[in-house]
Amino acid sequence: MAASMRLLVRRAVRLSHRNITLTAAGAAARSGCCRGPSVCRCFSDEAEDRSTHFGFETVSETEKAKRVYKVFENVAQKYDIMNDAMSLGIHRVWKDALLHVMHPQPGAQLLDVAGGTGDIAFRFLEYIRLQEERQKRRAARSSQTPSWQDISNNYSTEDESRESRAVVCDINKEMLKVGKQKADSLGVSAGLSWVVGDAEELPFDDDQFDIYTIAFGIRNVTHIDQALQEALRVLKPGGRFMCLEFSKVNNPILSSIYDAYSFQMIPVIGEVIAGDWKSYQYLVESIRKFPNQEEFKGMIEDAGFYCVKYYNLTGGVVALHSGFKL
Amino acid sequence: MAALLRGLRAGRTLRGLSSGKTGPTSRVVAAPSAVNPQCSNLNRGFHRAALRLQDESKSDKPPSSSSSSSSSSTTYHEHYQATEHDTAAEASQHDSASDPAAEQPERPNTSYQDQSGEHGEEYETEEQLQSRILTAALEFVPLHGWSMEAIAAGAETLGLSSASTGMFYNGAGDLVLHFIAHCNSQLTEILAEQHKQVQLGQAEPKKTADFLREAVETRLRMYIPYIETWPQAMSILLLPHNIPDSLKHLSSMVDDIWYYAGDRSTDVSGSSLNVRPTTSQMNWYTKRAVLTGIYNTTELVMLQDSSPDFQDTWSFLDNRIQDVVNMASSAKQVQSTGEAVVQGLMGAAVTLKNLTGLNQRR
Repeated sequence: MAASMRLLVRRAVRLSHRNITLTAAGAAARSGCCRGPSVCRCFSDEAEDRSTHFGFETVSETEKAKRVYKVFENVAQKYDIMNDAMSLGIHRVWKDALLHVMHPQPGAQLLDVAGGTGDIAFRFLEYIRLQEERQKRRAARSSQTPSWQDISNNYSTEDESRESRAVVCDINKEMLKVGKQKADSLGVSAGLSWVVGDAEELPFDDDQFDIYTIAFGIRNVTHIDQALQEALRVLKPGGRFMCLEFSKVNNPILSSIYDAYSFQMIPVIGEVIAGDWKSYQYLVESIRKFPNQEEFKGMIEDAGFYCVKYYNLTGGVVALHSGFKL
Repeated sequence: MAALLRGLRAGRTLRGLSSGKTGPTSRVVAAPSAVNPQCSNLNRGFHRAALRLQDESKSDKPPSSSSSSSSSSTTYHEHYQATEHDTAAEASQHDSASDPAAEQPERPNTSYQDQSGEHGEEYETEEQLQSRILTAALEFVPLHGWSMEAIAAGAETLGLSSASTGMFYNGAGDLVLHFIAHCNSQLTEILAEQHKQVQLGQAEPKKTADFLREAVETRLRMYIPYIETWPQAMSILLLPHNIPDSLKHLSSMVDDIWYYAGDRSTDVSGSSLNVRPTTSQMNWYTKRAVLTGIYNTTELVMLQDSSPDFQDTWSFLDNRIQDVVNMASSAKQVQSTGEAVVQGLMGAAVTLKNLTGLNQRR
């Protein structure tokens, strides 16, 4: 009942001209339906009928996965361009901040879930390459003239030391295809793998990876706690879980600007650049449905991670959560 | 903190029971290739069901949960991996990675087995784990310097991934401060032991100057294994965000040394007879300030000392302490001389008054 009313509202809005009425409808829809999905979820027990949120709509869990798949299938080709346009390029800063906090050591194995077009994996490999160069330079500086023994050791240990590896896992083949094309054009191929997999059921053994990252992907997962448990499973002891995700802005002024920008500008940009209004409408709505920083920190701790901490970037627009498997 | 962790874990085990998940969070991943061919397809399902029952009955008792006996969970994992081989085509590339990784989780699990926790963390707080990692990292300092690489190498010897270095937000500063705290506690132990010996009458009490000299020498000798990289450590300690902590460690060390030397105090400023309250307070501060100065200057001399067994440093230390003792005795002499001079002047003034007749009363 509530769902159909919402659909009617949205369709009416789209028939009329969009700009100002959209924010009002968005606000009404948001306030009206926030209680809806939770009520539906309480009353239904069977797994097939259990419903969850898809943006501001209520859908069954199986349908959500399908619809998310379709959303990303549609946007895959224009994903990177849209990221730049929507965030005004700030998403690069966020991803660089993730790498900076991560500070990976040479030889680390990364699993980037919902990695899609591979942004994090490329940055990871670049960071490690620079670290290794710096270490080599430091070693060269400290030893003035390497002896014959040192030179021969250098030749032999190049293969023995563990090479750092990045595995990009995504449920969506289109996104991985785009990522592979990017890798080819950048000329990056060593230490990079592309795997199709579901975050709730990863196709990897236990204790495989040093670092698990999920950047702007966990809000699309149907069962977030399952994804967190899978993360705990595939991480080595001492491994780190890092999650970059849109979150709640606490500052009221910034919050109102952010809301206006999200609901007014982003779907319009989506329509203009990618020709897809609905996908980007889903995007901004799913941001609002995601739990806030403290709640998500609690969920990570419940899954079994220790030393859980979060950093707010850009005033809370994006939060970086980090936890350790100890 | 530990209680919170225990509560969280209890909540997790209960949740695991209720949702019927059979995924033990055991860290034992043993995949010896010899055993895998032995499990045929026919037996696999049966074994898995039997082990799941075994696991469930084990997990019924919350404290001794799924990973309590490594043997049963080992075989469970072999079967779990056997199914993984079938389902995941890409799993093959990860198997080679799992074999070297398999040895590393083995070691910490056996040490925690007796404590029968799901993770060893149950009986060890995060701070204790962090100090264990830093202690292990100290042996890599001569190779990597005081840096995150040393901490990563230390974590790896404990069986933890190098990503756990992310726990140390201060990075190299954490390592240096941990080392200094460790040295201070060692020094305190040695001084307490000596003090006990003196109390028991088994050793002669030392003169203050000798005591200070030996205490500072003992403390500085702890730096000798790391003397190559010590300049880097000192520069890290001077970073603004590390200064409060390093000053705290330094002042507590100086305080400890003076406490154990405190029975015989050479009054640096003021004689023992005429001690006024303010002078005794100045005495406390003066003593510590003086010892801090001696310690810091000796440390700097030690950095560029190349004599055998740092003989130059110890003779420098001797000279500085001798200076302080001389200054103390000369201060006393100055004071007594001053008093004598004042008395003499007073006497001269009275004599003059007598001579000129000003003192007479008419």
